[in-house]
Amino acid sequence: MTKSASPAFGSSVVQPARTTTAREAAPPPPPVIPLIEVLLRDLSRAIRTRQLYLPNNPIYQRALEAVGASFRKIWVALPELVLDISEAEFKWDGITVSKDEGKADSLPWLFYKDGVRGLTLLEGFEKQELLTLMDILARVRKATTDEDDLLTLLWEQEFLCFHYRYVDFALEGVPDLALREPPVQTGAPEQSPEVAPEPPPTVSPVKMEDFDSTLYFLDEHEIEYLRVHVQSEYQGDLRRNVLAMLLDIFELEADGEVREEICTTLERVLLHLLYTEEIGAVAYILRESRIARERAVSLDGAHRDRVSRLAEKLSVPEVLSQLLATLDASSEITPKEDLEALFRQLLPSGLATVLSWMGKVQNTRLRASLEDAVLTLAGANVAELVRLLQSPDPVLAAEAARRAGQLKTTGAVAGLAKLLSAAQPAVRLAAVNALTEIGSPGALGHLADAMEDADRDVRVAAIRAVGTRGHSAALPKLQDVLFSKTLRDTDLSEKMVVFEAYSGLAGESGIPVLAGMLNGRRLIGRREGGEIRACAAYALGRIKSEAAVAELRRSSADKDALVKSAVNKALRGTT
Amino acid sequence: MTSPLRSGSSRSLTPASVLAAATSAAQQTSATLADRGGDAFIRRRGRELLFAFYGALRTVKLYPADNAVVQQSLDELLNTSAGVLAHEHELELRATGEFLFINGTRLRLDLEHDSSISRSFSSLFRGCGIGLFRVREGAAKADWLHLLNVLNAVPPGEPDQRRQMVIDKLAANGVISFELGPPTDTEEEFREKSKEAAKRTYAQSVTLTKDVINSVRMGKSPNIKKIKRVVQGIVDQILNEETSLIGLTTLHDYDEYTFTHSVNVCIFAIALGRKLGFNRLQVYELGIAALLHDIGKTRIPLEVLNKPGGLTESEWRTMTNHPWLGVLSLFQMHPQDIPFRALVVAFEHHKKIDLSGYPKHIRPREMSIFSKIVAVVDSYDAATSRRVYQTTPLSPADVLHEMRTNRSRGMDQVVLKGFMSLIGHFPVGTCVVLDTMELAVVHAVNPIAEAVSRPIVRIVGDERGHLLHPGHLVDLNERAPGATAHARTIIKIVDPDRHGIRVSDYFV
Repeated sequence: MTKSASPAFGSSVVQPARTTTAREAAPPPPPVIPLIEVLLRDLSRAIRTRQLYLPNNPIYQRALEAVGASFRKIWVALPELVLDISEAEFKWDGITVSKDEGKADSLPWLFYKDGVRGLTLLEGFEKQELLTLMDILARVRKATTDEDDLLTLLWEQEFLCFHYRYVDFALEGVPDLALREPPVQTGAPEQSPEVAPEPPPTVSPVKMEDFDSTLYFLDEHEIEYLRVHVQSEYQGDLRRNVLAMLLDIFELEADGEVREEICTTLERVLLHLLYTEEIGAVAYILRESRIARERAVSLDGAHRDRVSRLAEKLSVPEVLSQLLATLDASSEITPKEDLEALFRQLLPSGLATVLSWMGKVQNTRLRASLEDAVLTLAGANVAELVRLLQSPDPVLAAEAARRAGQLKTTGAVAGLAKLLSAAQPAVRLAAVNALTEIGSPGALGHLADAMEDADRDVRVAAIRAVGTRGHSAALPKLQDVLFSKTLRDTDLSEKMVVFEAYSGLAGESGIPVLAGMLNGRRLIGRREGGEIRACAAYALGRIKSEAAVAELRRSSADKDALVKSAVNKALRGTT
Repeated sequence: MTSPLRSGSSRSLTPASVLAAATSAAQQTSATLADRGGDAFIRRRGRELLFAFYGALRTVKLYPADNAVVQQSLDELLNTSAGVLAHEHELELRATGEFLFINGTRLRLDLEHDSSISRSFSSLFRGCGIGLFRVREGAAKADWLHLLNVLNAVPPGEPDQRRQMVIDKLAANGVISFELGPPTDTEEEFREKSKEAAKRTYAQSVTLTKDVINSVRMGKSPNIKKIKRVVQGIVDQILNEETSLIGLTTLHDYDEYTFTHSVNVCIFAIALGRKLGFNRLQVYELGIAALLHDIGKTRIPLEVLNKPGGLTESEWRTMTNHPWLGVLSLFQMHPQDIPFRALVVAFEHHKKIDLSGYPKHIRPREMSIFSKIVAVVDSYDAATSRRVYQTTPLSPADVLHEMRTNRSRGMDQVVLKGFMSLIGHFPVGTCVVLDTMELAVVHAVNPIAEAVSRPIVRIVGDERGHLLHPGHLVDLNERAPGATAHARTIIKIVDPDRHGIRVSDYFV
């Protein structure tokens, strides 16, 4: 290591030997310079792609691989890579290996502007520390003057294979400690004018009890005590801790200016927490501010209103939509319990926004988390939920219907019944499913109307619900469906649903109808079609009585293969 | 004279380079050119190497060479040294007084856990007159075994003779992988450089803290970037050599109390955090919190803050608002910059461990360990400082005694114990009379854990009452050659003012 003058700073500077002074030594082997040039190009490219693409993006991955390959070539030629940095250049051994003039975001400038004047990279840097450095550089590129600079961020990392020389601008102009004159002149001991005979023993004597050395060293329990405390310090929810302090101050300090400041702070912090998707902390603010509003001593109307408006603001469609859009786009998944806690604090007016969003959410993990949270919100706001059933927005109405079903909201039956005449099949289907889940006689009573719906899925859902729920009042209507021409035109699976429901509701009393369909002939002597007859056989098989079996046996050798197969299956199922 | 610090290496980050840069820059320019990063490797591996060396020395002494334990410890030593050589292209160990350097980087050994190994190692090297130990590339297992055997069996004698014996025996066995040299007189040099760097760090910290606090008083939000740089500087300094910086806490500038107190609390907190086993980033966070713990005082009217004499009840109530005012001040920062742990410490540092004290709180909480640390060091520095309303500060020893014995102060006893361990029976800056009738100022706690009552002191007055400046350092644990009794022992603590001594002058 040599010392050389650094004219840039006018100070004696410790420099790595090769960086500047080794120019007098033998010139570097020719292949090294191009290798370094390529490496720096690859490095710049990788840093750019890091800012443009997600980590799993192939372009970024390729850029990283290229840097890795370049580094491997360097390590064959050099034990370490020492670079000097100027405003627009990287230099190796005094030779410019990268020049990037006129670009405000060039790599040399990015280092230089924050004071970094030299880098030394060691083998292994490219494995993990490169990624860390790239993250820091990406952050520094976007940083404002008040935010952490490169030196501050680099310090926070413990790099093993990367080190840097720097000038610390933050410390410029700081004067030395003001040195005061010593009490006496230095040099040979002199008699102090103030030296007096030994003072009387009024000063503290040495306390011999302090010499118990066990007082000075931690035992195992004490070390464990510290370990546990530090661990719990880092496991605790720091956000909530400081928010609790702020809200405590709000409650305890009646000064209007203090409360005004806290309200402003809460609003600002709330926005930031929303931006950073710290949903649990947002929920905490909303919940605790409500409590603070109730408990605070001598709270005036203006501050009460400001605190109340925190939840109102978040329940505004634009704000809530923005939050949901952010969560949907985020790669992080918000914990379900945080979402539930947040939604519990929303005003009823927030329900419409959340329900509208349920149909748009792309992120499947978010959707799963949202499902329970939405239910919590809807359960807390049933009247609003029922009101939303009549929303002109079909997506919203359908989502409201789904939650009404999940919550078994009997108060929603009338609203759901109205939805059965909605124009959109999806809305009608949601209403049928909801009425089915509610399952009350009143709810099931409305399902009969849906058994002849124009939409196949709605019909199937309604008929299946009537059958599974054993809603016998719907039997006459179901029998009408059985004989309807529409049923003859449907697919086999729908037919089966109808016959299955019929057999379930009618039981033994349905055998004549089913036997007539399986074995009988119509007025002009024609039999029913094969699918209808097969379904009748299936339904008889489900009834299982002797009379039903007897009817099935009559057709066990039917010429229609479909019927014959269905009859035999039904018979096997009955034995 | 060869520097104990890194030499002949292309690596640019060393204490030497940092200190040299800092010192020369201090003389010539306000800007500093320094180096960072990369030391983490040598610190970690150096410590491993020391442990492996020590372990191998012991096993070779206890078991025959072909024993599996010996072979295993030799393998570990070989691998560790080879790892350092592969990464650094050199392996040089220097023992200088109480300090150990590997490739010019001072090993930061944990007093609590590593001191016995470090001490044994230093003692062995000192006894054999070895100050420099260099390992060449290609050192084989057999070479190491020879070396360990020779070191274990070197007969008593003068250190220089013993070193020569070791060199001769190795040469006779054809071992050329090691180079041994005498100690170099560089401990004082290292101390001086550390002291210079500490002074610079301290001055920078006070100045920047003053900037920050004054700007907050003017209504601006605290500049977290500056605060971080201050704390980073203090952490680096404490991790490298804490004594010099702790010594500077005795400055207690009367006019600049608010700022020096914040810096002192930060220094003590970082040193104590380190003592209690906090890692680098944890002490960094602790340091930020400590530096900002009194930020709420920027909202206290100056006439109350600087009022000489006692405060009225109303003024006292105003004063006790500063913890929660600190919370409001820190919340003024941009939300992404808010140092949340510092907020907690600002709020809690006047609370007792049972959460009594002030300010009041409503929501359930547990007192942070960070707050407990700051509470201890804040009380200590405040009580030992000269302020407008406390023109005669208490002596460090008295303050410590009071803190230890008066449980009603509500301090965490484990943290307090750690603090006492950090600063010793006789805290840095204590003025003492020795049984030689010399006057001394405590310079540093003794690195030997058992010698807690025998600090390293600076003799500032001779037995005839002559004051000395700058005086000289002595280790009170030292015995005269051949003597069983210690050469010097403290017999009483005295008030430095009565002897015309300004303690801080001996640290500046």
